[in-house]
Amino acid sequence: MAPALVGFTAFVVYPLIRSAYFALTRYNGLTAPTFVGLDNFRRMFTTDPSFWPSVRATLLLVVLYVPLSLVIGLALAVFCNRHMRGVRMVRTLIYLPVVLPVVATITLWKFVFNPQVGLANQVLSWLHLPTSEWLSGSGSAIPSIVIVMLWSVGSTMIIFLAALQAVPTELYDAARIDGAGPRTVFFRITLPLISPIMVLQVVLQLVTALQTFNQPKILSPDNQGGPGFSTRVLMLSIYNHGFPTLGRVAEFGYASAQVWVLFLVIVVVIAATARFSSIWTYSDHAS
Amino acid sequence: MTTHPDVTTAAEPAPSPQPTPAATVPRPPRRTVRTASWYAVALLISSVMVLPILWMIGIALKGHSAVFQIPPRLLPDEFHFENFIDGPKAIHFPRLLLNSLVITGLSVMGGVMTSMMAGYALSRLRFPGRKVWFYAFVGSMMLPPVVGIIPLFQLFKDIGWYDTWLPLIVPAWLGGNPLFIYLARQYFLSVPYSIDEAAKMDGAGHVRIFFSVMLPITRPAWITMAILAFQFSWNDYLNPLIYLYSSEKWPLSVGMASFVTGFAGQTPDWNLYMAANLLYMLPPLAVFFVAQRYFIQGLSALGTVNQR
Repeated sequence: MAPALVGFTAFVVYPLIRSAYFALTRYNGLTAPTFVGLDNFRRMFTTDPSFWPSVRATLLLVVLYVPLSLVIGLALAVFCNRHMRGVRMVRTLIYLPVVLPVVATITLWKFVFNPQVGLANQVLSWLHLPTSEWLSGSGSAIPSIVIVMLWSVGSTMIIFLAALQAVPTELYDAARIDGAGPRTVFFRITLPLISPIMVLQVVLQLVTALQTFNQPKILSPDNQGGPGFSTRVLMLSIYNHGFPTLGRVAEFGYASAQVWVLFLVIVVVIAATARFSSIWTYSDHAS
Repeated sequence: MTTHPDVTTAAEPAPSPQPTPAATVPRPPRRTVRTASWYAVALLISSVMVLPILWMIGIALKGHSAVFQIPPRLLPDEFHFENFIDGPKAIHFPRLLLNSLVITGLSVMGGVMTSMMAGYALSRLRFPGRKVWFYAFVGSMMLPPVVGIIPLFQLFKDIGWYDTWLPLIVPAWLGGNPLFIYLARQYFLSVPYSIDEAAKMDGAGHVRIFFSVMLPITRPAWITMAILAFQFSWNDYLNPLIYLYSSEKWPLSVGMASFVTGFAGQTPDWNLYMAANLLYMLPPLAVFFVAQRYFIQGLSALGTVNQR
């Protein structure tokens, strides 16, 4: 038990306090931090040309990824939740990309998106569709990253599948006897019954998507969030400021300020979901 | 896609209590159409999921020039199996693999042991502030890891752990994963107290109970945890990227990524790279197929943590 307590203090309490302090200082990691009040936040909101673009990139990524991942994940779960021969095989194949190391899949997709010889454009041209410049186009870069992330939608599917299998079959039988069609059954029985899991998924996905780092870091052509600032999500911005390439001075104070902005966004998201979820989730016991 | 999940169950030749004259009668055409369309969609989904991997295997078997052939070919003309030897050699794969194995092995061991002990303590021992600690752990599960990055980096740098493996391993040993502690506690709570009492009657202390009674009983819990910890550590990219400066200490994730990022300075030979990448994918795949059951259990555990 004792090591866990030490660990808790060292890895949760201490960092929380320290990073709040750093956010109010100018600190390069070499000399002692100097207190500058809210200067970091002023710089962030008014003068830094990269801050708002990175907020935009983060929001775009979240807005594209989270709904798509939930809808596709649920659709696949419904699709796989039946007793067909070979359904296990389909499930395993959908889940397979989740098992692979993240970095391995990202680097694989980096080559898939290669405009000249990559698989993505090859497939598009077979289908006689216009090809894209994918990661090197400032408009298509974030959607490309979302595609890479959606390849691992199997993790969402598995959780929904577990939820679906917990729905008692008597309810379905009763509904069918009452003459409910498949659509009604899904929206009136399945969806309300899995709504607690749905809320949890929404929160988890939002929190994860807000902290996306690996994909933009490895996939962007300059590894800094290019082209332009188009894929420079907040996490990457924090990394670039706090751990810059050799020869540049780290800005721990400024990076910590951005950490706190991201952290507060996450807290707000969790609080808002918790606040509103009680309105549209089903619960079978009055509490 | 919004069809009733059980609607086609009846199509299966499931043993039914009624006599089935339907076996000789041809199936109603609507049901056949539905079954056929299910398989068509299944085939489509599976091929979308698998195509990138098949394509990657194709690249890994191609020769140098064939990779950049225009128009590109899906299948290689000749098979270059030597890529699986040259590729790993070109990127110092064995060293990266060894690093990854050591880091992952030690942090999995630490993470599982500490979390199990902490979970046992939280569920079985009475000590002041037990409830407070438990809620503190649960609360910190929600704390996004990004908050800790910079202060922890400073902390580890100050105590001289920069560019060593210690920042990647020691936190696991110190219970740095509250989720595991939570899972362990929940599992221990489901173990009946009569087992403890019986062991105590036989004169076993807490250490004895933990190692010779509890660990065997809770095997599913810690195997699941070990798999989650393995996946986390094997996949971890940000932490080794921050803490490890010298390339000979890198684990596979940072090493593999560095060869497609600008760091190495030139475009890699994609065929060699993909061959090595396939090898990088093998250990998690092996774990998955050996322990599929626990894998899924772990994921459901993650998904339903807040359900209880």
